[in-house]
Amino acid sequence: MNEEREKIEDIGSFIAEYSAHMMGCGVHTSRVIRSAKRIGVAFGYTVKISVFQKNIILSLADKGTKELYNEVIDIPALPISFEHNARLSALSWETFDKHLSLHDLRSKYDRIVNAPHINPLFVLIWVGIANASFCRLFGGDWHSMGIVFSATLIGMFLRQRMTAAGINHYIIFIVSAFVASLSASTSLIFDTTSEIAIATSVLFLVPGVPLINGVIDIVEGYVLAGFSRLAQAALLIICIAIGLSFTLFLVKDSLI
Amino acid sequence: MNIWDILSDGFFAALAGVGFGAISDPPLKAFRYIALLAAIGHACRFCLITYAGVDISTGSLIGALLIGFGSLWLGRKVRCPMTVLYIPALLPMIPGKYAYNVVFSQIMFLQNIDSPAQRAIYMDMFFSNSMVSCTVVFMLAAGATLPIFIFPKYAFSLTRDKKIK
Repeated sequence: MNEEREKIEDIGSFIAEYSAHMMGCGVHTSRVIRSAKRIGVAFGYTVKISVFQKNIILSLADKGTKELYNEVIDIPALPISFEHNARLSALSWETFDKHLSLHDLRSKYDRIVNAPHINPLFVLIWVGIANASFCRLFGGDWHSMGIVFSATLIGMFLRQRMTAAGINHYIIFIVSAFVASLSASTSLIFDTTSEIAIATSVLFLVPGVPLINGVIDIVEGYVLAGFSRLAQAALLIICIAIGLSFTLFLVKDSLI
Repeated sequence: MNIWDILSDGFFAALAGVGFGAISDPPLKAFRYIALLAAIGHACRFCLITYAGVDISTGSLIGALLIGFGSLWLGRKVRCPMTVLYIPALLPMIPGKYAYNVVFSQIMFLQNIDSPAQRAIYMDMFFSNSMVSCTVVFMLAAGATLPIFIFPKYAFSLTRDKKIK
């Protein structure tokens, strides 16, 4: 490894990109730091890293030559991807165990990052089924389940289209929550568990990943990162509440 | 105790776990384990609440612990970090009905701001429901993370290739 050692700036800029991508796609902070340090060690460098909500400060040191490399990277806003989480973590171990060259590492990284996501139509149908099952778990009957299924399809489709159009995500959450709950309020016409139907129709929007990641970060000691994730999740939940309250204002007289 | 109720609870929790997991793009090989964990965790909480009289936050903690240890064991099989398996599996346990009641009571509180009796009822409803929602979410995340603290070395090397070690 030492004979043709990779240059510190090449490794540094790779680790910068790698860790920013991991933070962007919803990996909790301690894993990002561990994986980045592991890759650094594999190439014989010490990595010091400090992670914030919007950017990462990274510095690489070579103990022998006293060379230093510093970089501040912006974290991109990426869709959450557990696939990237799992495969990029495995890549850090592979680099560590097999001493991959930077060229191999880079090509494997590009292959993982550019792999296609799950088909949106598949996601849409599954989210509908999931929300209908959720309705069942809360004690909804079969009619409510059907209504929640179709309401979720409409809401989720709208969310996917608006995300593709690059609209601000707070607005996306308000509009999707409003439309989904309004569609679910058709259950008021029938003799069914309509309150449960309206309540569950917006639950597909709940930002579960940042919520749980936030708590994980806090209990692991990354309190700042954890609270910023929770603050982000709380804002999205408020948006869901706003969308839902528009519907409740319209139909509240039939609910009481 | 009704076996059918428990099975159907687990079945619908599995569907919900897989469906909500699908939004976050999990690895395809992880889907069946997510379904399994979601079913076990939710059915466990259902049994504790319905038959053992346990409250929802303790029930969630125990269900989350079960999911956490399960993901530690199954993560090795599919070479996935624990969080990839347990976050989708925890999603069906998120207390959506309580969160809805928080929003509903807030609106009704503001609507009835002029009548003290009604206002007090909705204020009470608001606080008790937000208390339950926050506690349950915290219990879920903390319970599932506990196995990482107990077996840190093992948990951190789940994605490592066994053959090379």
